[in-house]
Amino acid sequence: MIQVEGLSKIYRVAEKQPGLAGTLRHFVRRRTRDVTAVQDVSFRIEPGEMVGFLGANGAGKTTTLKMLCGLIHPSAGEVHVAGHRPQRRQAEFLRRITLVMGQKQQLLWDLPPMDSLRVNAAVYGIPDGVAQRRINELADLLELGEELTRPVRKLSLGQRMKAELLAALLHEPEVLFLDEPTLGLDVNAQARVRQFLAQYNRRTGATVLLTSHYMADITALCPRVLLIHQGRLFHDGPLEVLADQLAPEREVRLELESPVEADALAGLGRLEQLEGCDVRLLVPRDQLTAVVAQLLDRFPVRDLDVTDPPIEELIGGLFRQGRV
Amino acid sequence: MGRYWRTLRRFWGTAVAVQLEYQANVLIELLAVAMSLSGSLFLLSLFYGPDQTLGGWSWAQALMVQGLYTVFDGMATTWLRPNLGAIVTHVREGTLDFVLLKPIDSQFWLSLRTLSPAGLPEIGLGLGLLAWGSHQAGVVLTLSSLLTVLVMLLAGGLILYSLWFLIAATSIWFVKTWNATEVLRALLASGRYPLNAYPPALRLLFTLVLPVAFLTTVPAQVLLGEAAAPMLLAGLGLAVLFFAAARAFWLFALRFYTSASS
Amino acid sequence: MRVFGLNRRIIRVLLGSQYAHMLEYRAEIALWALSGVLPFIMLSVWSGSDARSGLGLDGSALDRYFLSAFLVRQFSVVWVVYAFEEDALLGRLSPYLLQPLHPLWRYVAAHLGEQLTRLPFAALIAAVFFAVQPQAFWVPSLGGFLLAWLATWMAFAIAFLFQSLIAALCFWSEKASALERLQFIPFLFLSGLLAPLTAFPPAVRAVAQWTPFPYLIDFPARVLAGQPVDLLAGFGAQLAWIVLLLPLVLLLWRAGVRRYSAMGA
Ligand SMILES: Nc1ncnc2c1ncn2[C@@H]1O[C@H](COP(=O)(O)OP(=O)(O)O)[C@@H](O)[C@H]1O
Ligand SMILES: [Mg+2]
Repeated sequence: MIQVEGLSKIYRVAEKQPGLAGTLRHFVRRRTRDVTAVQDVSFRIEPGEMVGFLGANGAGKTTTLKMLCGLIHPSAGEVHVAGHRPQRRQAEFLRRITLVMGQKQQLLWDLPPMDSLRVNAAVYGIPDGVAQRRINELADLLELGEELTRPVRKLSLGQRMKAELLAALLHEPEVLFLDEPTLGLDVNAQARVRQFLAQYNRRTGATVLLTSHYMADITALCPRVLLIHQGRLFHDGPLEVLADQLAPEREVRLELESPVEADALAGLGRLEQLEGCDVRLLVPRDQLTAVVAQLLDRFPVRDLDVTDPPIEELIGGLFRQGRV
Repeated sequence: MGRYWRTLRRFWGTAVAVQLEYQANVLIELLAVAMSLSGSLFLLSLFYGPDQTLGGWSWAQALMVQGLYTVFDGMATTWLRPNLGAIVTHVREGTLDFVLLKPIDSQFWLSLRTLSPAGLPEIGLGLGLLAWGSHQAGVVLTLSSLLTVLVMLLAGGLILYSLWFLIAATSIWFVKTWNATEVLRALLASGRYPLNAYPPALRLLFTLVLPVAFLTTVPAQVLLGEAAAPMLLAGLGLAVLFFAAARAFWLFALRFYTSASS
Repeated sequence: MRVFGLNRRIIRVLLGSQYAHMLEYRAEIALWALSGVLPFIMLSVWSGSDARSGLGLDGSALDRYFLSAFLVRQFSVVWVVYAFEEDALLGRLSPYLLQPLHPLWRYVAAHLGEQLTRLPFAALIAAVFFAVQPQAFWVPSLGGFLLAWLATWMAFAIAFLFQSLIAALCFWSEKASALERLQFIPFLFLSGLLAPLTAFPPAVRAVAQWTPFPYLIDFPARVLAGQPVDLLAGFGAQLAWIVLLLPLVLLLWRAGVRRYSAMGA
């Protein structure tokens, strides 16, 4: 469905000193600098796959997605999506894809989502009856009801994102590009969006390429992961392999009723921090359940919390350790 | 084609719905239009005393020009400002991406996406003033002169749109173009008066460089039976030329956007 | 020592930072200066018209009047309402209100910084004007220039206070800024920007004298152009408008701030 071969993008940015003199100098002699955002990336994605696109901030995820949907032209390399070359942006191609951006919205701010949906139906040439049926189905899946008839500015962030998804999927695209669709949502809303994407993929067999900051998005949805760092592709494969590599340990935070000695925690993972009643442990994934059970058994636990370290930290750690 | 037509109806349907959200604005707009038009007429009257003309144009004839100007001003309020003004916002907030991903012409979308009914009364008043002025000036309407005026109005609208769109399209490079539009508006104000009221150098400027003459003076001359065929053809030719330029410039700007922008 | 909450240091810092800020927007400000060409368009219509003889501005006097009108307008443009609305929208207003300095001073400094940025562009436009119309060139006497400067600043003060009044009303209603649009229309036609006041029929002129508008453009422009004017009456009227508006603005502003903090917005 998606074939990418040697894809690169070099942004040419103007270098301009601040101030009037700088502007004039820039006008006379343009000085530019090249920023390599994506470098020699190749991969294939088969129809119906759900692929996670991971990388730190500025790694080149958004740039790659934009090249895949034809918004920007590659500096080098070949892209084919659904049998088309995206940068030509033919109507035929645009009808088969969609792009959802977590930090931008297409719905009209002052109007209910329904109005924007009707506009989209006309733009994509979907007959009204068909459009209405799809809206009903999708709204069902997304658990949207009267929200669709309330002005967008009066919706919560989570409701707005769900409506955005509806607007982006109305024309039943076969390829979904999602750029941080869960950005800024609370945990519940994140879970809802995730669950919806999984359902949508199962029902329609659509191909999904998803970037996210939250490891949980990727773990929940994508059996296969692409990891990009400084514009280069570093990993392409099953999530488990990467997860073990990236986060072989999980962090357990404890709040105890009474202080403990460090010795007492020996053998229960690596001790990160011990301050009176507050304890932080790093526990290997495979021992997690056992360790937690022991902890609860042995100590007067007031609160216990297991987290994945943030993705930025993991990837940063990975590169510091020189493992890729 | 049918898809574009259906899309247009949806566009304007939602636009009207947005306006209804803000009813008070409509009243304010009406008041502003009424005040503005009385001010313009007052100002125009200052040029006229007994036996006085403005560049050889009688009071009634000058009213026709004023009426045409009001029509175009209303057109700017109804159509150009809300649509072309939004291009800057699209570029700044990155929502132009959504427009470019729609299977529909992006210039069509950006130029006709919305409509502000608040400017419609102004168009009505302008047409009224034009009719009244024509009547006073003793214009005999014939089917052919009416048709020609209609064509000239369309050509004028196209010229105005193209100029405005050209400026708005530069927002792909310079994000703030609002002030450039203000310069255009200030210069267009020269269309309030017949071309002959200006010194020769300015007449040339307003005919060839910034063709304001074709918006107001020439259509009025058509009604008065004074415009010659070459003038009409020139107006049409310019309209086509300006529109082609706007279209070409947009395609160029898009190429730039897609090869560089974020 | 502080006068109206200001001392030398505050003034220096405020003006310096606002000027630097405005310099960043010089391209926009240049265009904005250029969009003030309306007086020149009106000049070219007036010069060739039959009605010109009734203006009492013969020969180069008309050119000088409209150039002066352009310059006075350039240095009395006010945009407090818009700055205020934006600050309120972006939530910058609350921190300003907490500072021991009246927020209006900040806007005054911003306007002065903007005027300074605009100065070279306005001068350039004037130079182009003289290149096209060399016979209109004149150098006002030092006394005349200083008086015109004073009159322009008084005009700026009136316009600023008037708009601050509208801005203060924004504490009560979002629609208040539409008032600015509405008052701009009589300003445009009655201030002398498009036609010298001598062009008006006597009855209209008599009414206009009782509005602040003629003192915003016509009066300072005439002083600058070296026209014979009743200085005492002109400055008297300007002062009267300032004396009338200032307490109103301060009172309304204080009430507005109280309402704003009461609503906890
Ligand atoms: N329009 C642009 N002009 C210049 N550089 C850009 C532009 N857009 C992105 N970049 C640079 O390209 C790199 C990749 O950015 P991006 O694709 O947005 O990363 P991600 O989405 O993974 O956070 C960054 O270094 C960024 O600064
Ligand atoms: Mg990104």
